Amino acid sequence: MEKIKKFFLHWEWILVVLIVATFAFFSNKLGDSYTFVKLLDQTRVYIVDVGFMALGIMLILILGDIDISIGSTAALSVTVMAVAYKSGEGLPFSVSILLALLVGIVCGLFNGVLVTRFKELFPMIITLSTQTIYRGIAYIILKDQSAGGFPTWFSKRLGYGKVFDVIPIMLLCILLMFPIFYFIVHRTAFGRQLFAIGTNINAARYSGVRTDRLKVLIFAGSGLLAAIGGIFLTSRTGSVKYTIATGYEMQAIAVAVLGGASTSGGKGSVIGLLLSLILMTCLKNGLMIAYNDSFILNLSIGVLLIAVVLIPNITNAIRAREELKRRRQASAVQ
Amino acid sequence: MKESEKKSIPLYTLLIKYREISLILIILILVAIVTLRNPLFLSVDKMLFIIEDTATLAILAVGMLCVLLVGSIDISIPGIMALSAMITGIMMRNHLVAGDVKTSLPLAYLILIGMSVGALCGLINGLIIAYGNVLPIVTTLGTSYIFYGITHIVSKGQAVYRKDMSEAFIRFTRDALSGVNYKTLIMIAVLAAVTIFLTYFRAGRHLYAVGSNIEAAEIRGIKTKRSKLLAHVIMGVLAGLGGLMFASHDTKVTQDLKTGYEMYVIAACVIGGASVTGGVGKVSGVLLGALTIGVINNGLPMMRLVGNAEFWKKLIQGLLILVAVVSNVLLQREMRKQDLQRRNI
Repeated sequence: MEKIKKFFLHWEWILVVLIVATFAFFSNKLGDSYTFVKLLDQTRVYIVDVGFMALGIMLILILGDIDISIGSTAALSVTVMAVAYKSGEGLPFSVSILLALLVGIVCGLFNGVLVTRFKELFPMIITLSTQTIYRGIAYIILKDQSAGGFPTWFSKRLGYGKVFDVIPIMLLCILLMFPIFYFIVHRTAFGRQLFAIGTNINAARYSGVRTDRLKVLIFAGSGLLAAIGGIFLTSRTGSVKYTIATGYEMQAIAVAVLGGASTSGGKGSVIGLLLSLILMTCLKNGLMIAYNDSFILNLSIGVLLIAVVLIPNITNAIRAREELKRRRQASAVQ
Repeated sequence: MKESEKKSIPLYTLLIKYREISLILIILILVAIVTLRNPLFLSVDKMLFIIEDTATLAILAVGMLCVLLVGSIDISIPGIMALSAMITGIMMRNHLVAGDVKTSLPLAYLILIGMSVGALCGLINGLIIAYGNVLPIVTTLGTSYIFYGITHIVSKGQAVYRKDMSEAFIRFTRDALSGVNYKTLIMIAVLAAVTIFLTYFRAGRHLYAVGSNIEAAEIRGIKTKRSKLLAHVIMGVLAGLGGLMFASHDTKVTQDLKTGYEMYVIAACVIGGASVTGGVGKVSGVLLGALTIGVINNGLPMMRLVGNAEFWKKLIQGLLILVAVVSNVLLQREMRKQDLQRRNI
């Protein structure tokens, strides 16, 4: 009994309830234009690129750090990819993609090295400056132009293709990542070490966790994931401008926090992340059809984000106060 | 004895102790570099223009300083600016349509409205952060979405244009009092007010105490939650004012007014020596930090670099923040090492 109770106390259930509620609300309101199949198609827009970045961000949030440069990292990587490929005249496309991934890793590595070398500095400040630097480099490379002309398999098959005419190929790509990440984060010693660093970095170091090395590794990994997200985004949009993926870091942080991660570290769940991505898709698509307005969409995400974080805090505070009152009464009786 | 002691103070100790000196040096070097490329840069008019151009940034950065001092952060300020500018703009428009042009709302009233809207936004941020115990980044990330959303709902998708604005409102960032622009004067007033508040008022000193060690402050009897709330309200008021200044300067209010501007503001604070972990920072430093960004923004187009200088601006800004914060850390480390060595001997 106790076990079952504990199982249902997980954060993820809130998200499940919210998903069901949102889906029921909108399918009731919008009818045929809001069905499961149509939602599956929209996952291309709302899950894939943000999802990859959110995975990386979540790992960093677990460590207790923050990285607001991933949008720029994605932009720089796909810029390099587009310029290297030069719509067929430059390098072969596979090499260009590898180059993009490499750029992502290098950007992440640079962040990681700076964060571990200068511990006095808050990661937010470091990644704030690298955010400007990476996008600045992309700006210098591309200027005001946009680059495109990617091979058809990339911009048509990957970007718009579907398996059995229902499931987008992109969605399959990211869904494959979740079991892998679940295993790494929640089932390996490596994952436990990440949580240990986020909970208490000194304790983790004294118990033999190579904190710096792990941090650099995670930052590099986050850069790689950002580059992958950027590549998927490019396959959907078909062209690259230096402003591509602006603001994605904030979306990714919002998704990760909604999924149960905390910016103070030591918390995070891969399942929660997946659920919060699904919730975002249901909500965003419904609002988009109902109001066709990106501002109202953002407004509701803001409310959701704060409400979801605020409500547990308030209930905890009330519970703590009642506990205190009870104890006081008990001691008064004695 | 005294003489030798004076001599033994190395340059970098001075630079660290008085961060403002190193910042002034950086600004002078930047001005010198630009002047070497383009002698037209070094003129009183240009310098006054740079100060005028940086005024809004400096006002916002001073507000951000208060927030950073208590160990919080506010990335929702562009949202606050957009909302306050939009509400003020719509009030102006409604009034102009209703009556004739001459009976427009008085400027002081408009500014008061804008600042109160900002104060309300700051209050919401502060309440959620201080009393709801939600992390500042998460809160203000959420509220920035919310403020932009409300701006959009209020505006009904319409921007406010020059024709909707009253003459006094358009002039309030353009007029000059004996050669000094109003914006500069407002900046000086705000900076002076905040400096006095932070140095001579108990509530201002409490901001430093809360940011340096929140537990100690709590035990000492400081109402830490109230201090945090106060810092966010100050930020909100100044963001409201900043929004109006941008609206008047651009003679246009759109729903996405100044997206991404919060990063410039945080950068100005960090370059100026404020710490994101709280408790450290001075108004003078933040002003110089804002001026550094202003010199870069205005100097780069005059550098006649290869191609369009606009493209280089972002990269150089990013590098400058990085160099400023990293060099500060390195200097501090070196000073601590010297300090330890001296004590050992």
